Amino acid sequence: MKKMLRRSTMIFVLTIAFIGGMGYLTFELVTQADDWVDQAYNAHISGEGGLEQAGKIYDRNKTVLAQTLDGVRVYNDDASIRKALLHVVGDNSLNISTAAQSMYRSQLTGYSLIWGLNMPESLKFKNDLTLTIDAETCKAAYDVLAGYDKKGACVVLNYQTGEVICSVSTFAYDPNSPPEITEENEKEYDGVYLDNVLSSTYTPGSIFKIITSAAAIENIPDLENRSWYCSGREEIGGNEVTCVEAHGNVDFKGAFAHSCNIVFAELAVELGADKMTDTANKIGINEAFNIDGINTAKGHYDVSNASTNQLAWSGVGQYNNEVNPMQMAIICGAIARGGSSIKPTMISDGTDELLKAIGFDTSKPDREMFNSSTASKLDEIMRYTITNYYGDNLYGGLSVCAKTGTAEVGENKEPNGWIVGYSKDSDCPLAFACVVEDSGFGSVYAAPVAEAAMIQAAKSLGASAVN
Amino acid sequence: MFNLSVIFDIGVVALRMLMPVYAVVIVYQCYAAMRRRRRTEKPLVTLFNIKTGEKIPIIFWENSIGRGRGSDIVVSDPTVSRNHCVLLRRKEGWFISDSYSSGGTFVNGEETIGRKRVLIDDIIQVGSTEFQFRRGEEFNERLTADRFFSKVSTKPAIKSWKLMLLITIFHFFMCVEAMFWNGGTAVYAPVVVFGALTVVEWLFFFVSSFILRRVNFELEALALFLTGIGVMLLVRQELRSAYVQLIAAVAGMIVFCIIIKLIEDPDKVNKLRLPAMIVAVCLLLLSIVFGKITNGASNWIYIGSISIQPSELVKILYIFIGASALDVLQTNKNLIELIIFSAVCVGLLALMGDFGTALIFFLTFLLVAFMRSGDFKTIILAVSAAIFGVTIVLKFKAYVAERFSGWRHIWEHTQDNLGYQQVRVLTYIASGGLFGVGIGNGFLKQVAASESDLVFGLVAEEMGVIVAITLALAVSLLVVYARAITTRSRSTFYSITACCAAGLFVIQLSLNVFGATDILPLTGVTFPFISCGGSSIMSCWGLLAFIKAADERTYAVKR
Repeated sequence: MKKMLRRSTMIFVLTIAFIGGMGYLTFELVTQADDWVDQAYNAHISGEGGLEQAGKIYDRNKTVLAQTLDGVRVYNDDASIRKALLHVVGDNSLNISTAAQSMYRSQLTGYSLIWGLNMPESLKFKNDLTLTIDAETCKAAYDVLAGYDKKGACVVLNYQTGEVICSVSTFAYDPNSPPEITEENEKEYDGVYLDNVLSSTYTPGSIFKIITSAAAIENIPDLENRSWYCSGREEIGGNEVTCVEAHGNVDFKGAFAHSCNIVFAELAVELGADKMTDTANKIGINEAFNIDGINTAKGHYDVSNASTNQLAWSGVGQYNNEVNPMQMAIICGAIARGGSSIKPTMISDGTDELLKAIGFDTSKPDREMFNSSTASKLDEIMRYTITNYYGDNLYGGLSVCAKTGTAEVGENKEPNGWIVGYSKDSDCPLAFACVVEDSGFGSVYAAPVAEAAMIQAAKSLGASAVN
Repeated sequence: MFNLSVIFDIGVVALRMLMPVYAVVIVYQCYAAMRRRRRTEKPLVTLFNIKTGEKIPIIFWENSIGRGRGSDIVVSDPTVSRNHCVLLRRKEGWFISDSYSSGGTFVNGEETIGRKRVLIDDIIQVGSTEFQFRRGEEFNERLTADRFFSKVSTKPAIKSWKLMLLITIFHFFMCVEAMFWNGGTAVYAPVVVFGALTVVEWLFFFVSSFILRRVNFELEALALFLTGIGVMLLVRQELRSAYVQLIAAVAGMIVFCIIIKLIEDPDKVNKLRLPAMIVAVCLLLLSIVFGKITNGASNWIYIGSISIQPSELVKILYIFIGASALDVLQTNKNLIELIIFSAVCVGLLALMGDFGTALIFFLTFLLVAFMRSGDFKTIILAVSAAIFGVTIVLKFKAYVAERFSGWRHIWEHTQDNLGYQQVRVLTYIASGGLFGVGIGNGFLKQVAASESDLVFGLVAEEMGVIVAITLALAVSLLVVYARAITTRSRSTFYSITACCAAGLFVIQLSLNVFGATDILPLTGVTFPFISCGGSSIMSCWGLLAFIKAADERTYAVKR
């Protein structure tokens, strides 16, 4: 019988193994429960019953953007604000995957490992979320953008704190009455579930001259002393590069302000593929930027297989170049800061539990995109572009530095109109990027959107220049 | 400013929070009661070494005598064989049985052939050593008890009827939760099922205490607790299954009683081994010939509207066949008979395509083989044979290999059969939190096999992860109990069957829980007592009979 007892130890080992396995399962549960819960098929939080249980979402001024009233999820009272913030806040359908209501659904609905989901409604702990977004600024930008009835995006962020003040994407719809998208109206809602600020890339056109300039400033010592003659067209690498008009004799600053293609095409060829690529990579054109756990769409600069003519065109933001609006705003912010970028965020505040669950990261490590001397030179020429070319009165007294772009996209479409830049005012440190698809000159289409957004943002921040 | 609905909600949540505590209390009480009411540690008889004057206490029902260090009575005499003979107690009295020793065993100078009765004051001679067989009272030193039974407080254990009452109230709370199921219809269905369950439980209790006159009931109480939870969970899933499950549980309890009666005499069991083997093989053959293919495995037989899984019942026979009394074990060492029988069983199961059960059989075979012989060489042989078999299986059965391909990658397979069930189990376990969403409020019940293969997830979602873990531990701790009663069994037959049955429970439990949660690459195994499945619940009760029978108190009639 003693032998039996000794042998039965092996069976006892099974139980110990089982308890060990249970320990491992518990460990996995504790560390991964949030991810496990946050699944599209989870019937406790998805479908029609989902967001009814979520907390409120506020903008930076505690304007309610979304809340549950009597068991129904409702959005801001102002229709323009609702549409302007569709892609930031989200709607009941959860089709917009980068929106706060989709990203932080389980946290908003008050999930915790202790209480699980589906507590009775009256006893639920709801988590509220405050965004850094300013609803009025978004509305101002949206109204202009929606007036064109074009797809586009506008983002404004504070380059000192990283707070995103405005993020608008069109097309949009009213989250209080989401449309049923059919074959007949699918054009009207083309790409409506995509937040163009975060998830789209566009041909940059002339705004890419900022990057070409950075490469030239850092690599060509006598750049300041050079001058060029522009006849409106020139053969580079066996094919023509054209300008909108003949700019005549120009220096570097003038070429940037007048957005002379010939000069920047020649610079790109002179610099060569390697130096252009090095600069683009240093600035992070080919990278995704992380905003509260959401990765932006990656831009694109690849001239490894480009001909000389294609290299020339890449210097003026054509060829196969692509950039993302959020990315451009971050780059402009880096210029304003003297070369280093800041990590943007859309989350201002929330219950501790929610912020912890989101993994809200308050540390915002800087990243060097430009040498400080390059940044100050870019600052100078971008400022010169506004003061000497577009006029300084447009932005309500803000000292704005900017660059427009009109990117040809072919396919019988009108160009993408772009404007990117920032304000230098210390009480209004804002960087912006605006794009309007299938429109025309950036100065005609994109600039008014940026202007509306910047003026309203400056007012919301209480900047002295606009008051 | 509380309105009525808030107070009501608070009540519902308070009940949900009470349940885990309550479950822990019940499981604790069951095990605490198992530790008590044992006979005191006293020797049954004493062997008096005539030469040295040493008194050796005999505490087991079956004792091996030999030179080997593993023997119960070690005789350091070079003329004694390593396993010389076995001294065993039966209803009729004490016997000695020689284990083919080289020198032979003598009683009062007469060489024994087979079992030989020994009486008080007889002289037993092994090798050149002589013992006088004396009464137990001759030995007057204190003996230490097994750790499970030592240091038991003198406070009497909870009365069985009180334990039963606790369990009934627990099931009643489940019934209340099920009645207030969100949007639930047929409010009275849970009450009817609860009523039927309560009648069954108490009837079994009365039969056990007053007709069979058993002293203790904790093991059965634990099983009833688990069975009842399984039944009550089904109320809001599929009402008909709840009744089927209950009826099958009654059948299981009957099987439980029959098996205990059948194996009352450990010597008669030997004669039943061959018929049992034939029945086992026939049952398996039956399901190959008449079985319908379900989920790639033809392990179900349909008789009218009733479906049976014979392989579940063969498990019981298998353990029964594997075990033997000590004197038989010592004289018939080879395992070949068992290995051949096992190979036939595993082969037939593989033919059916039921790899889950085949694996369980194989692991059970290892347990039985080890308990019988303790011979690692045999086990290494068996393992290598199995590895060979598994390789063939993986090669020929693509879907088994597929199971492995999805393992630990389930989040890439949320919508196909490689991970569909597992990801939902994990999601809903996490959604349930510590206290669950309430009976009937879960969504895992919409997933196929959630009431059987995925029942751990179902319990965790609806009753909370604490209850789920408590129930799993309750089953796994049966091993501790089975092990603690090993040396107090009336025969090694009971020791082997009890340990193997408990081991089998843990194996099934592990495959169920870890398979459903993607820790192991296998699903399709039931959670003992809780999973829905008539054959499964019957086999669980059948296996439990072995553990019950191993406790010497089972056959001691209440005075």
